[in-house]
Amino acid sequence: MSSIRTFERGGIRVRGDGEQEEPASIVNAFLPNSAVVLLKQHAGAPARCVVRRGEYVREGMIVGRGLGPGSADVHAPVPGVVRDIRVVLLPEGGESEAVVIALEGSFDRLGRRAERYVWNSMGRADILRTVRDRGVVDTEAPGVPLYDLLADRESTDALILNAVESEPYLRTESSLLRERSEQVSDGLAILAKLTEPARLVVAVDELCIEESLRPWAGDARIEIVRLEARYPQDMRKQLLESVLGARKRASSSALVIRPSTAVALHEAIVLAKPVMERYVTVGGGAIKNPAVLKVRIGTPIGDLIEECGGFLGPPARIVLGGPFRGFPVHDLDAPVTKTSSAVLALSEDEVGGARRNPCIRCGRCASVCPEKLEPERLFRLLSNRREAEAEAWGLKDCTLCGACGYICPSRVQLVAAFAVRLRQGISKAMEATR
Amino acid sequence: MTRVRNLVLGQAPHIYNSQSTSSLTWGMSLALVPAAAWGIYCYGAAAALAIASAIASACMGELAVGGLSRRFTLGNGSAFLTGFLIGMAMPPNVPLYIPIASSLFAVLIVKAAFGGLGSNWMNPALAGIAFALLDWPKAMNAWTLPRNIAGVVGVGGATPLEFVRQSLAAAAAGSSPLDILKSAGFRFSGLDHRITDFLNQLLFTRIGSDMPSGYFDLLIGNKSGAPGELSGILILAASIVLLARSMIRWEIPTFIVAVFSALTWVFGGLPYGSGFFSGDVLFSLLTGSFLLVTFFMATDPVTSPSTRIGMFIYGGGIAIITFLIRSFGSMSEGMAFAVLVMNCLVPLLDRRRAPLAGGTPLGAKEV
Repeated sequence: MSSIRTFERGGIRVRGDGEQEEPASIVNAFLPNSAVVLLKQHAGAPARCVVRRGEYVREGMIVGRGLGPGSADVHAPVPGVVRDIRVVLLPEGGESEAVVIALEGSFDRLGRRAERYVWNSMGRADILRTVRDRGVVDTEAPGVPLYDLLADRESTDALILNAVESEPYLRTESSLLRERSEQVSDGLAILAKLTEPARLVVAVDELCIEESLRPWAGDARIEIVRLEARYPQDMRKQLLESVLGARKRASSSALVIRPSTAVALHEAIVLAKPVMERYVTVGGGAIKNPAVLKVRIGTPIGDLIEECGGFLGPPARIVLGGPFRGFPVHDLDAPVTKTSSAVLALSEDEVGGARRNPCIRCGRCASVCPEKLEPERLFRLLSNRREAEAEAWGLKDCTLCGACGYICPSRVQLVAAFAVRLRQGISKAMEATR
Repeated sequence: MTRVRNLVLGQAPHIYNSQSTSSLTWGMSLALVPAAAWGIYCYGAAAALAIASAIASACMGELAVGGLSRRFTLGNGSAFLTGFLIGMAMPPNVPLYIPIASSLFAVLIVKAAFGGLGSNWMNPALAGIAFALLDWPKAMNAWTLPRNIAGVVGVGGATPLEFVRQSLAAAAAGSSPLDILKSAGFRFSGLDHRITDFLNQLLFTRIGSDMPSGYFDLLIGNKSGAPGELSGILILAASIVLLARSMIRWEIPTFIVAVFSALTWVFGGLPYGSGFFSGDVLFSLLTGSFLLVTFFMATDPVTSPSTRIGMFIYGGGIAIITFLIRSFGSMSEGMAFAVLVMNCLVPLLDRRRAPLAGGTPLGAKEV
């Protein structure tokens, strides 16, 4: 195996010590009694609700129609009766309408032999339309519709399957790579056909077991690249830097895709299934039996935690997503969405109970920043309402990876300050385009 | 809604590195304990009393400031460490009002008056020590020999650096600091003689050289001096722990040691009349508060630069000024002043142009 590559500067090693890890095996979760299907599970505007209260919906029926770029169709993950259509708060902020479906009636797909469609004979336009109609989105937050990613990419300099997991606890992608290898490689093959990449790369972390790479063994078209399990290796900028090199990073039109997205694409095209399920890691020190579950979208996270044996001790934090970039939740009824990679219940020890102190200018934040920024300086400028200067110091390059916040011995709320400013910028830009 | 009680709704990231500001300061204090224990063994209750009174008054000062602002910060360990470091720099048998006044000056004036932890631009402990050196020069230069040299506690005897300084005029040109100590009657321990003889027989005579006695006493701490500067080996052991656990950055101590050693080697022989390239590096590194200041005070993140280049200049500057003060200044020991001078330059060393300011003077303004 070739040498292990990584990005140029910064980052934190939080996983493993060079040993290969056995990925968790995937378990099918129970069906929810009542599914809360958010109409915003993607980057753009919420989908428009197309069902009425009291209406019976079949499994996989459309319940929300995507409204233009960034927005995707939403389908019923379970058959049943629409009990309620209500507005719920989103963990990432803001709110969205949600369709509450009470499980009822028979399944059209569950338990039946799936018909397989031969995608090789489908044309590009056909595949793209199918991708859009089945509501496939990039499984990484914020969930850009896959159609949007593919529509203007008739060719690309690289297609990269990003199976790197550099955050602790997260096992979804490595588990998929091992246990759903055919779906992943099929999904990747479909994407390769659509985007005609000059390079086709499977990027895994150093902890990935050899067995997971079986589907691509001996395939001359595919480069397998092993990357250091250094956070934030899995983020687009660092991944491109590691795979393509720092100079090509900015100009690259590469399409970076997660194994879970490849699986969703495979199901949409080969099995003709809309997105109804999500693979979710349930973990953290406060969870009794951590696992990777295959979950119907809309399942409350409380059900998943219960299915994993419940809480081991009182959780200090419950997080939707990874420990570095996930969103805090306080409500166990919060539903799984297309972009929920994990549900973590973290104990007091893991969160780190140390008290906040003033900045001691130790410089650790700058030394771990993978974007070569000086978080401490940015924070000081933002606290003094000198936003223009903060931008001159590169605030807009911040990817909110959270490395600086993790390392800060004084627990200065660096990332929260950057997130507020960057999101203000985004909402202003969106207002301007309206 | 199914809510879980006592959840903390903090922003990402949701996990933190285990190293916190308070664990860093308490850890530094812990690392000082062996050296302090050796000091107390050498000097008995007097040294313990000096250290304890420095710590107590630093903590009282912090508590008083906390009372005024209703923010109690004793727990972050910064005041304790400041007091500890000041106590470690006090000569044994010092009148207790000196460590008490120095600690109060450090905590109240140098730290609290400038905004507390993180906002002070001078290292509080060093400023406190400098305060004592300037206000009570005589009491701060009254040294006694440790009990294992003199047999009893309380016999007067200068530090090696001071001893060399006083005997330099009378010494023959070209003699090394250890020669001067020997000829002027500085007392080394029997253990040192035995180890030196053993090593000489085993190794050095065979390769045609001869190690003078004295280095072992300097390394182990069989000499007079403040508790913090006694035992080089205990401070070095502590520094290994601090570096290995990333509690201090390596750049500043590395540069101080490298530049100071180079300067001593090249020019260190000049005051002794032995010409260039003849300085005694080992003697210089093991005497005075060099090691203590290098690893415990110059590395203070608050008052040192945050960029690597800045750290190199800062470390080099400390080494140069220390060397100048020691060789040509009016004091035998000037490390505290060297660091304080470089503290003043830190804002300048951290000053840079904003990368995206595009030629406008936007980034030139410092926050």
